[in-house]
Amino acid sequence: MSFLLRRSLQAALTMLVAFLAVFVAIRTLPNNPVLARFGQHASPERVAREMADQGWDRPILEQVGAFLSGVFTEGDLGESFAVEPGRPIAQLLGERIPATIELALAASLIAAPLGIAAGIVAAVWKNGLPDIVVMIGSLLGVCVPVFFLGILLMSIFTSLPAGFRLPISMDYESATGFVLLEAPFRGEFVVFFAALKQILLPAVALSTIPAAIISRIARSGMIDVLSQDYVRTARAKGASRSRTVLAHAFPNAAIPVANIAGFQLGMLLSGAVLTETVFSWPGLGRLMVDGVQASDYSVVQAGAMAVAGTFVIVNFAVDAFAVWLDPRLRGSGS
Amino acid sequence: MPRRSASPLALFAAAASLVLITGCGGCGSSSSSAGGGSSQTLVYGRGGDADSLDPVKTSSGESVTVLTNVFDTLVTYDDTPGLSPQEKLEIVPALAESWRISEDGLVWTFKLREGVEFHDGTRFDADAAVFNLLRARDEGVSYAANFAAIESIEKAGDYEITLRLSKPSPILLNNLALFAASIGSPTAIKEDEDRFAQRPIGTGPFRFVSWQPKQKLTLASNENHWRGPPGVDRVIIVPVDQNAARIQMLERGEIHIADNLPPSALDELAKNPAIEILSDPGQNVGYLSINNEKAPLNDVEVRRAIWQAIDRQRLVDVVYAGHASPAYTLVPPTVSAHEPEIEARSKAERPFDPKAAREKMEAAAKAGGFTLPLRLRLFQMNQPRPYMQQPLETANFIRDALQPIGIEVEIVPIDLRQYWQRLQRGEHDLALAGWTSDNNDPENFLYNLLDYDHINDEGGNNLSRFRNEEMHNWLIAAQTEMDPAKREAYYRDAQRLVFDQAPLVPLVYTEVRTAQRKEVDGFDLHPTGLAKLRHARFATEAGAP
Repeated sequence: MSFLLRRSLQAALTMLVAFLAVFVAIRTLPNNPVLARFGQHASPERVAREMADQGWDRPILEQVGAFLSGVFTEGDLGESFAVEPGRPIAQLLGERIPATIELALAASLIAAPLGIAAGIVAAVWKNGLPDIVVMIGSLLGVCVPVFFLGILLMSIFTSLPAGFRLPISMDYESATGFVLLEAPFRGEFVVFFAALKQILLPAVALSTIPAAIISRIARSGMIDVLSQDYVRTARAKGASRSRTVLAHAFPNAAIPVANIAGFQLGMLLSGAVLTETVFSWPGLGRLMVDGVQASDYSVVQAGAMAVAGTFVIVNFAVDAFAVWLDPRLRGSGS
Repeated sequence: MPRRSASPLALFAAAASLVLITGCGGCGSSSSSAGGGSSQTLVYGRGGDADSLDPVKTSSGESVTVLTNVFDTLVTYDDTPGLSPQEKLEIVPALAESWRISEDGLVWTFKLREGVEFHDGTRFDADAAVFNLLRARDEGVSYAANFAAIESIEKAGDYEITLRLSKPSPILLNNLALFAASIGSPTAIKEDEDRFAQRPIGTGPFRFVSWQPKQKLTLASNENHWRGPPGVDRVIIVPVDQNAARIQMLERGEIHIADNLPPSALDELAKNPAIEILSDPGQNVGYLSINNEKAPLNDVEVRRAIWQAIDRQRLVDVVYAGHASPAYTLVPPTVSAHEPEIEARSKAERPFDPKAAREKMEAAAKAGGFTLPLRLRLFQMNQPRPYMQQPLETANFIRDALQPIGIEVEIVPIDLRQYWQRLQRGEHDLALAGWTSDNNDPENFLYNLLDYDHINDEGGNNLSRFRNEEMHNWLIAAQTEMDPAKREAYYRDAQRLVFDQAPLVPLVYTEVRTAQRKEVDGFDLHPTGLAKLRHARFATEAGAP
């Protein structure tokens, strides 16, 4: 219990430091958010007035205080100034985070099975043709930039448009912000399959790097396990080759794979900036890019907090899970 | 730190959810969510999404496309199909039926249309007009200056209002036709301004239905519009920021109209028998800003050398695929007071001639004590503008043009949202810039872009930081000159002075072009650049994709 408490305090401290860093950094940039929004058409007096209205002409510490008191007294995260003017940040995050989660999950569902299968195949036929193919494939998967792959995919599969979570002609009011995860439960299977088609390309593009990394970890883990005595024993006792590999060897190689897969999921959940930008996917990563370019302070602050929060939570979950799994980690502290 | 490890359970869970999701294969198809619904849905695709839909709180062109269809103004530009571009720039009655101006030009009385309702069912009357105009003048961020001459706005009857001006204003009517003077429902605005900015309520030909930002915005026809119902039942406006994707969707018929495409893509699309390209001479100018405050660019001979080094016709052919015309003065030919004499003078006195330009540079270097090559930073916006459709290509063109005359150009690409503020602070030596007319008036170009009243680090549009007392006096005098001929003379003089001093280099006037599917009929481009969708309809019974 003391472990969880300590980790919670650490997590809270990490979040606070991340928040302060972003809050101050975005305000020290020379960009004027009013000019960023109104461009050539803002008159100097009105710019000054708008800055004062928003409180951005006050000392930075005062702004921190005002923001934090808003958060803690009213749960108010402020509102967007430029990206979607006037909309509460909480509402914006509520729309964008589900889009990112769906994309991350879809990419993971492609990356994990693909990476694991490729890793196993490569290990079983070590140094053979399958191994070479998998290794070259995984090298390409890590090396080819997502924005390039994205554009390539879009120009090849021109019938699969990206950027919309649903086809233009489809009217569907989502209750939760999740479309893919929610539609089947509401019996909206047409919506579900339409949404699945829309997410396919960005998910494939996003899955390449995690799939490549997972396949490498799975391969080395399997090679290690396959050379151990108990595997030979299993074969000697008459277990088939596939049974030996899948039932005896793989479970032992799976631990590091699950570890890395969890970590990759954390990365994906914190907003795939490049993929979301290339495919115009309306998620957290794209929101952050828009926010930074438009100097939309509230959006950047909140987005950074959401990213930091995701990382803290994922790390926390992985650690807690490890402790639950391995009693030796309890008690002794670190 | 504890070592991280996890059980294979996680993998089973992942695999199980995969099965759960894909396992439904084929079990769907019974339920559907109204795809298209009506057969008369027009889909309009553009490069970005709107920001605020409150007329006084935006300056985004993407927002204006929505506003111009949801709101009416007191007066407007004629948009009757089939008129010539010049005829379409006539101001005609809209929510105001008629108006009269006092002898001294200071009191304007507008008689308002009766029987008009906002989309929320409330009545349009004098109170609503006064409320909105005051708001445009007092609360606007971007266009408030256009209404600064209005001293008071009063109700003179249930359907009559009086505007008193502090000085005569020859461009008041044009400014009242601006989207920033749109008339919205006072009830809705007073109730919740933020909500109004996301769910606008006007009297226009279309009423707002819904908006999922970065996804789609839906409008429906206003059957009770005072000019009769529009040609389609529903309009869906979608942001598709990749040009390639927008083109594909147009070719597949998923969208009917696609705006803001690059010149080469439009020429390619023109070959598709299902698609036609609409074209209109725009009211814009793309120019090369020169920072007049930095040495040696403060030397008029250096600026004239730059002027002479750029072959505008070639720029038009290479970068705009011929869909633009060379510019020699800031005021486009479609705007009154454009001075054609400048083009002839430029060709005679300062023709494209790198050798002569190089000689000018060498003489200037000797006199000014600097050495060649001169190193200059050219700022380039990262996103295309209507007047600068291929910024990178244009920047490269200028770099190559200036190299032979002894100027080494370093191109500095900058995101559009930070671009103007950096130019307004004068950080650049050279910069790509441009302007699209707000109100069809030469003042909008000359006073705005070159008068010293507009040099300001936080929002001044005289990016070239040019100061000239004589021109300032002309421009100020023109602001209150009610005699059109005398007023024009001031602007023509100013254009001659600009040619002489070369504080910037006008480059191109571009055509505004839009691609549409041939089943769409009746929609045409307006010279002001506004996408008025009221006349659009489907030629056959073809409708939504």
